[in-house]
Amino acid sequence: MAHSLIWLPSVLTSAGLKVARVGDWENRGRGDVGPTFGVICHHTAGGRNGNMPSLQILIDGRSDLPGPLAQLGLGRDGTFYVIAAGRCNHAGSGSWQNLVNGNSNFIGIEAENTGLGNDFPWPSVQIDAYQRGVAAILNHVGRPADFCAGHKEYALPAGRKSDPTLDMNAFRTAVRAIMQGTAPPPILIPPAEPPSPDGTPGRPTLRRGANGELVRTIQKKLGITVDGDFGAKTEAAVREFQRSLGLVADGIVGPKTWLALDK
Amino acid sequence: MFGSAILEVAIGMIFVYLLVSVICSTIREVIEGWLKTRAAYLEHGIRELLHDRNAEGIVRSFYNHPLIFGLFTDEYKPSSSSKPPGILSRGRNLPSYIPAKNFALALMDMAARGPDTDVVTSDPSGPILSLESVRLNVANLKNQALQRVLLSAIDAAQGDINQAQANIESWYNSGMDRVSGWYKRSTQWIIFAIGLLTAVGMNINTVTIADYLFRDETARAAIVARAEKVETIPGSSSANYSEVKQELESMNLPVGWSEGWGAPKRGRPTSEVGRWNNWMAPILGWLLTALAATMGAPFWFDMLNKVTVIRSTVKPHEKSGEEASEDRQIKKEIVMEGKTAGSAQPSLAARVSAPLRAPQPSIPPTPRDAESSLDGCELPITSDTPDENLPPAQGGVA
Repeated sequence: MAHSLIWLPSVLTSAGLKVARVGDWENRGRGDVGPTFGVICHHTAGGRNGNMPSLQILIDGRSDLPGPLAQLGLGRDGTFYVIAAGRCNHAGSGSWQNLVNGNSNFIGIEAENTGLGNDFPWPSVQIDAYQRGVAAILNHVGRPADFCAGHKEYALPAGRKSDPTLDMNAFRTAVRAIMQGTAPPPILIPPAEPPSPDGTPGRPTLRRGANGELVRTIQKKLGITVDGDFGAKTEAAVREFQRSLGLVADGIVGPKTWLALDK
Repeated sequence: MFGSAILEVAIGMIFVYLLVSVICSTIREVIEGWLKTRAAYLEHGIRELLHDRNAEGIVRSFYNHPLIFGLFTDEYKPSSSSKPPGILSRGRNLPSYIPAKNFALALMDMAARGPDTDVVTSDPSGPILSLESVRLNVANLKNQALQRVLLSAIDAAQGDINQAQANIESWYNSGMDRVSGWYKRSTQWIIFAIGLLTAVGMNINTVTIADYLFRDETARAAIVARAEKVETIPGSSSANYSEVKQELESMNLPVGWSEGWGAPKRGRPTSEVGRWNNWMAPILGWLLTALAATMGAPFWFDMLNKVTVIRSTVKPHEKSGEEASEDRQIKKEIVMEGKTAGSAQPSLAARVSAPLRAPQPSIPPTPRDAESSLDGCELPITSDTPDENLPPAQGGVA
């Protein structure tokens, strides 16, 4: 039976965010959640490499701690991984807005970050997605930005947790601006390159699931198996390529990545 | 003069019973001080009142609540038995009296903040004790019957937290009346046993004493004079054991074993002392004394006042205030009875009820449970998920 937070992907997608559903997310959870009041923001303190190296741990938990450990994971490229629609062991003991059962009354978002100096400042695309995602969820549950807490603010005894390494007051201010509509709209990846001066239409933005001649071109340029199928391996290779050039490593071949591939 | 003699014998007997009752009550208190049965009854009463017979949930939290925990020493270790305590049950270290105010405040606090004391329930950012927060968080108690009682108490209060507290206090007091009843009944059995032992041990024999008083006018006058003195000294019925024993001995009544078995022989020919006087009369007399002792000192004290008033209508006498006699009753056995609710001073709950911050959400939050203390971020992650294994994403492209 699907759990209550079945609305998460659609709410996030309509906020202009990248959303990836982890298999069987609808039925995952430590039972169902209680009434949802807000969001608790975490960071994973996971590995430095990769887009979301902590994902499997968030899904399965550890031997001493049953998963899922958060409803949402947030990759370094700003993609929300929907892990569970049910209750997750993310908050622990603490209190925020008179609410003391964080696991049941808050949605947990684990953003991929080591929590160390080697991963600071956070990628701006990730911060932006974080704030927009929280704003979309709070809008959906009908609560103000004050119902967004950092795990370090919620957890008791005080000082038990230090995540996330963000200024939560500034974070809430940004969330409030997004909720009130005073923030600029999200920047989306254009569906295709701008047409060239002679009128030829630009190459379309390609992502996982695409196939055809343009995918072969990408695979040739990346030096991987050429099969014309934009699968998981090709996506990983694109991410690696983007990462090496300091682009957003989202595995989506948009205008910027096309330009970089042309060089 | 005949009627007066009967009355005087009655006054004398009542006075003797009063003294015996005081002795028995004193011994009872000594036993109680050692056994603490009252605490056992109170604990059982609390279990019944809070609908937690096995003391597995809310009763345990209640006794461990700081407002209650300070009333006794050591820790709360409930017995596994859910049966009512026997007449000689040991109350161990538990409190024999819990003020109604502590009870009500502890209950409301547990409802608002959660039953157990830890970093979360003691955190200043937790819920503020108010009717709204009690109502919203009442599921904290995890006890449907108790939740219902609390909800009806706060609803009947119409938004007045003092009234809600008073409602809970009166509910507690009515429960405690039952506990007092149990304790009284158990005490009556014990006092009967003590009374019998005292009657036999000190040879206080109703039949003999009445007989003696009826025949001996001087002794009668002396004891009546003494009894009249008692009724004018309020609180004398709570005199201590040794004083009372001295008093009893000083009256030169036919008590004690110094004159041998039965002892009804004073001033009477030996020929009249037959089987009845030797065997049945003492046994009957002792039983009567013991039964009289179960009535308790307050009863005899009150009776003494009443009889003296009757007598004073026969003989001119300084009128004793009959109305006052009820007030003078000292409720020795019923110490557990709670004080009446609604004192003039504003309660603690009222003083903190002013809203210090925005009102709470109107949907009841989930109370803490077995898994609410689990979390897992910032712990070492052993195996990384490679990018290849990430699920495909959608959205983000215009």
